[in-house]
Amino acid sequence: MEANSKAHAAAPPFMQRAPRRAVSPRILTDRSFRAAMGLTAFFAVWQALTSLGVIDAFLLPSPAAVAGAMWDMALDGSLWVHLGASLQRVAVGFALACVVGMALGLMCGWWRGVADFVRPVVEALRPIPPLAWIPITILWFGLGDAASYFLVFLGAVFPAFVATYTAVRGLDRNQMNAALCLGATPWQLFTDVLIPASLPIILPGLRIALGVGWMCVVTAELIAAQTGLGYLIQQSRMLFQINNVVAGMVAIGLVGFAMSAVLERIERRVNAWAPSERN
Amino acid sequence: MAANTALKTPAPPPGTPQAQPADIQIDIRNLGKVYGGTSSDTMVVALDGVDLRIRRGEFISLLGPSGCGKSTLLGIVAGFQSASSGTLLQNGRPIVKPDPSRTVVFQDYALFGWMTVQQNVEFGLKAKGMAKKERAEIARSLIDMVRLTGFEEKYPHQISGGMKQRAAIARALAPDPDILLMDEPFGALDAQTRVLLQEEIARISSEAGKTVIFVTHGIDEAVFLADRVVVMSPRPGRVREEVTVPLPRPRTAEMRSDPWFVSTVNDLWETLKPEWQKGE
Ligand SMILES: Nc1ncnc2c1ncn2[C@@H]1O[C@H](COP(=O)(O)OP(=O)(O)O)[C@@H](O)[C@H]1O
Ligand SMILES: [Mg+2]
Repeated sequence: MEANSKAHAAAPPFMQRAPRRAVSPRILTDRSFRAAMGLTAFFAVWQALTSLGVIDAFLLPSPAAVAGAMWDMALDGSLWVHLGASLQRVAVGFALACVVGMALGLMCGWWRGVADFVRPVVEALRPIPPLAWIPITILWFGLGDAASYFLVFLGAVFPAFVATYTAVRGLDRNQMNAALCLGATPWQLFTDVLIPASLPIILPGLRIALGVGWMCVVTAELIAAQTGLGYLIQQSRMLFQINNVVAGMVAIGLVGFAMSAVLERIERRVNAWAPSERN
Repeated sequence: MAANTALKTPAPPPGTPQAQPADIQIDIRNLGKVYGGTSSDTMVVALDGVDLRIRRGEFISLLGPSGCGKSTLLGIVAGFQSASSGTLLQNGRPIVKPDPSRTVVFQDYALFGWMTVQQNVEFGLKAKGMAKKERAEIARSLIDMVRLTGFEEKYPHQISGGMKQRAAIARALAPDPDILLMDEPFGALDAQTRVLLQEEIARISSEAGKTVIFVTHGIDEAVFLADRVVVMSPRPGRVREEVTVPLPRPRTAEMRSDPWFVSTVNDLWETLKPEWQKGE
């Protein structure tokens, strides 16, 4: 018996080995470094394909040419004007979508009866792509900022709604009851329990909503605006400035990427306590 | 054997109405709860004719197989849900909604994950509108009482299950409730932690002098802690029998080997086994 327990006390060899970290330098495992590597490789391949003539520069300009075009537009200020216009439109439309989507999601999540009325309507409107809304949007709002606001709103409101609804539905009954029996006022229940408990689901939803909104503003500007990155692309196409077209596309991609990265940062801070944000 | 302390009750304060014994704090009469649907096949009769009177300062263990309606009964006493029939009085007044005079400790802790231990404990004090400094002080002394000093600034996900439940107990004690309702509070803990926390709650409940309703399906836990074990029958839940525990308080670890304790736990197990097996 004694000998037996001793034999068990000695850990098997595989457990005795010192825990070994990966041998590769730390920089290779760093996530932002990997991200930079991925982007660099993408542009390098693109550059190689165009400068080797595999792709006709008339169909797709090289990254260097695109960067040059972007640089010129940055210097003459047109890039900033268009970028500013797009950002302002997405900000307004997104803000509206947040207010309406979150309020509606909150009400549907809280009151079953409201959800029974509202959700079928939402689910029927949701599949209509923003592009299909453009004719009627122009009819209603004409060509101008209002049309863009509306299209951004349409794109962003559904993800905002769904995320809020899901979050409120998924609230922990016991947590709510705990707050109630501790004497929480309705306001305290809302600000100290409902909101922080929902944010881990709401914030990623809002990030997706902003992404959709950003796509929508560009779509709107292609057709219904006289400024903005979408308009820049459309105008450059008509002037056969393919470099500027692609430069506009790259700007849209980079800005969308940056917005999403910033929001993800905020999410990680706000939701540091939540299970999905750990590790 | 020590004197039958469980049956000793404080004298009624002067000036209380004599219509009912003044020390009855919770009065449950013929309480029923039916869940769901209108047709008889979707309806679940969770409680049927529950009768129970609980004295001020008494520690009640509510013992029964899972699904017998213990949580339902506790939720009704807490005021989270209403009964379908019968009456439920606290100090002679009907219970209609949750109130800080009756706080709850849940099996899954239900701590607020976005708040530190300190903020969790302060929650009920903040709800009262208490000043920041005062509530920090009270919370600190409660955290000390549940032996969590040094973990005030930790978030729930950073501490063990046993510590979470200690924090939840401190949070429930903070508004200075008359009645502490505990729903299988140690059910999710490992065996050693559970035994330790049983002894802690025995100590804390004696120190704090609260009325406690402690829901469990552990027979030895029920007997170890309670002044009176209320045994519930399988669904529909009703009070099947009551066992008054003559052990003195505060309960200590040695009492687990007391002959009365051992034989009572065994007897309860023998009588409950057939019923509980059926429920499986
Ligand atoms: N909200 C509910 N809706 C329908 N049935 C429920 C609900 N809550 C509990 N029940 C049913 O009532 C019975 C008692 O449940 P519960 O009080 O949770 O038992 P216990 O806590 O003793 O395990 C169970 O059969 C359960 O399925
Ligand atoms: Mg239960």
